[in-house]
Amino acid sequence: MSATILVVDDDLALAEMISIMLRGEGFVTHHAADGPLALDQLESINPDLVLLDVMLPGMDGMDVCARIRDVSGVPIIMLTAKSDSTDVVRGLENGADDYVVKPFNPKELVARIRARLRPTSDAQASLICIADIEIDVPGHEVRRSGSRINLTPLEFQLLLTLALKPHQVFTREALLEQVWGYQYKADTRLVNVHVQRLRSKIEIDPDNPVIVETIRGVGYRSGKAVASGEGVTPAE
Amino acid sequence: MMWRWWREVKALLAAPRRVWRESLLTRTVVVTTVLSGMAVTVIGGYMSLTIQSSLFNSRLDQVISESVRTSTQLQALFDNSVTPAGTIDVETANSSAQTAIRTNQSVAGSGGFAILRTPGQITLQTMTSTSTSGLDLSVLSTSLRQAVVQAPESLHHQSVGLSVDGQVVPAVVTASVIQVPTAGQYELYLIYDLSDVQATLTLVQQTLIAGSLLLVLTISLVTWLVVRLAIRPVKVAANTAERLSQGYLEERIEEGGEDVIAVLARSFNKMADSMQGQIVRLARLSKLQQRFVSDVSHELRTPLTTIRLAANVLSQKRDQLDPESARSLELLETQIERFEVMLTDLLEMSRYDAGAVEIDRDEVNVVELVQDCLDQLAPLAEQKGSLLLLEVLGGYGDVDADARRLRRIVLNFVGNAIDHGESKPIVAFVDSNEHCVAIAIRDWGVGMSEQEASRVFDRFWRADPSRQRTTGGTGLGLAIAQEDALVHGGKIDVWSEQGAGTCFRVTLPRAEGGSIEHSPLGLPPETDLVDATGAFVEPETPEVATT
Repeated sequence: MSATILVVDDDLALAEMISIMLRGEGFVTHHAADGPLALDQLESINPDLVLLDVMLPGMDGMDVCARIRDVSGVPIIMLTAKSDSTDVVRGLENGADDYVVKPFNPKELVARIRARLRPTSDAQASLICIADIEIDVPGHEVRRSGSRINLTPLEFQLLLTLALKPHQVFTREALLEQVWGYQYKADTRLVNVHVQRLRSKIEIDPDNPVIVETIRGVGYRSGKAVASGEGVTPAE
Repeated sequence: MMWRWWREVKALLAAPRRVWRESLLTRTVVVTTVLSGMAVTVIGGYMSLTIQSSLFNSRLDQVISESVRTSTQLQALFDNSVTPAGTIDVETANSSAQTAIRTNQSVAGSGGFAILRTPGQITLQTMTSTSTSGLDLSVLSTSLRQAVVQAPESLHHQSVGLSVDGQVVPAVVTASVIQVPTAGQYELYLIYDLSDVQATLTLVQQTLIAGSLLLVLTISLVTWLVVRLAIRPVKVAANTAERLSQGYLEERIEEGGEDVIAVLARSFNKMADSMQGQIVRLARLSKLQQRFVSDVSHELRTPLTTIRLAANVLSQKRDQLDPESARSLELLETQIERFEVMLTDLLEMSRYDAGAVEIDRDEVNVVELVQDCLDQLAPLAEQKGSLLLLEVLGGYGDVDADARRLRRIVLNFVGNAIDHGESKPIVAFVDSNEHCVAIAIRDWGVGMSEQEASRVFDRFWRADPSRQRTTGGTGLGLAIAQEDALVHGGKIDVWSEQGAGTCFRVTLPRAEGGSIEHSPLGLPPETDLVDATGAFVEPETPEVATT
């Protein structure tokens, strides 16, 4: 089944060109020219991924991003002409999973899209506990004392990657490769921002994290994992 | 010893010297006090002297007139003592003369008297020389006695110190001559004690000194007050200027009154207003221009992306195109690439021009970074027939730098070296010392003249327009590289010789704020890997990496 991608861009030529290119890669595409239309289409077509231009008339791309996040965990990749720190970080903080800078290499964009559409994990474990939360791997759920915590697929993937190897410290580069699918050095701010977002959802006190710990100068590590009754078999 | 002592004195003086240099108030008060002190001393001294001499003179006049009277009286007394028979009882006359002297002298305090016989006379009889008991006759100087004998007709006087109860008090001795009938010439010495005049003088002097001190103190105090009053607005102005220079452009001085201080405040504020206006205007202009360049670059990106995607889609159908169309497509793609690099460089340059660059420091391993860059450009070098070599002399440790910018510098150097290297080997050197790390890229290619080398950092400047360009540089590469080095607190140096090649060397401090005075690498660095003609020499050491 081919994935459906919603392209949100006010530049019709670019939107059409992206659609042509993506269709060539076997995706199904829909187009929305502005924020409100995009939000409508999000409900009607339920896309697998949103490509979002941050410069939109009317409703700003940042706002659209935040509004989508309010209702859905659908992967969002921002298209931005500015690689300046503030814009990118703002977009990521508003819930975008990844970003590509115009003018992007078509192959690059496709690689980013495929990384986000990839099945999230091939882990063997079914239930992993870290501190006071439990991760239900097949159910794609994270719970704290029975109540569900809403995570986007990316956040879930990030948490799971760390949790599957509880003693290992992941460098930001390693996480970029394993979670985002980057094959070469990329922007480590992606990791920083998403770790912050993840912490704000799962940590009781995000300033003193116990589930995702920072190892200064190296990267991140999951807190102490507790094996459940069914046992934990970390993935290779 | 001497030095040590001098140093200690200097150290002791350091604090007062600092106060002297730094405090206008102290300086003014000290100068005023010293000068007024000097003036008061001179005036007081003069006054004291005048009073002293006038007191003395008036007293001297009195003494002289009294002495003359006494002397006349005594002479008369002795003359009258001669009986009609022509005899004289000199001793009786003597005692009545003493009584007369005492009567006269008691009027104004006296130190005594003496009636002495002038030596060297032969007379019928002699009268006993007398003097006040306790009078030390040494106060009567020889010179005075001689003067009296030589000029017996006039009255002589001399200032002397008189010993009274162990203290020396000023006194005046008057001397005159009395002819005692039958007994010859006698000298009359009257001693006048001037201690009362001295007491008056001392009192006057004490009053003068006390008055002077009080005056100097008052002057100092007044100076202090006035200077403080006058300095205060200057201080306010100085503080305000300081705040302004720190960027608080809203800072102003309170204006009030009509005096010169108010004029200062108003002028100052006017200056601040106009400065603020200018700064705000320039800042806005600069921001506008920066915005414009940035907006243009960004606006161009969207259509560029579309063009690129279109070219890519076409490119996938390359095999269906005729050769001319295929070549056109190829050209289209390379030029899109070039356009994109140009946009990026332009944007970066505009960021530097706007001073809006922040560097992202991290631990960077320079050797690895250079190796990475060489690996990245190896295919291009191979295509051009250049051998890329790395000679690491040091710099294995991490340095604090922005890896992205450092990489950009090295890629630029290596790219240039490949472009102009004439297929000869290119050597990258890395070395470090305790303060800084240096990377140099050396080629043995065409090189440049001195004049050309001096212009390589100019924007859009090209060494030789006819020269073949393969990497399609934007002409901004070295200008950006230089900014990249500067923003790290480092620098780029270039060496070039026509026909002998070129060497670019970047030197960066190991950590923020470090010194780059001595680059660890020479310019160009010595190497055994390549001989003078630019031919590769097989190394004997296995560490040298060739890529």
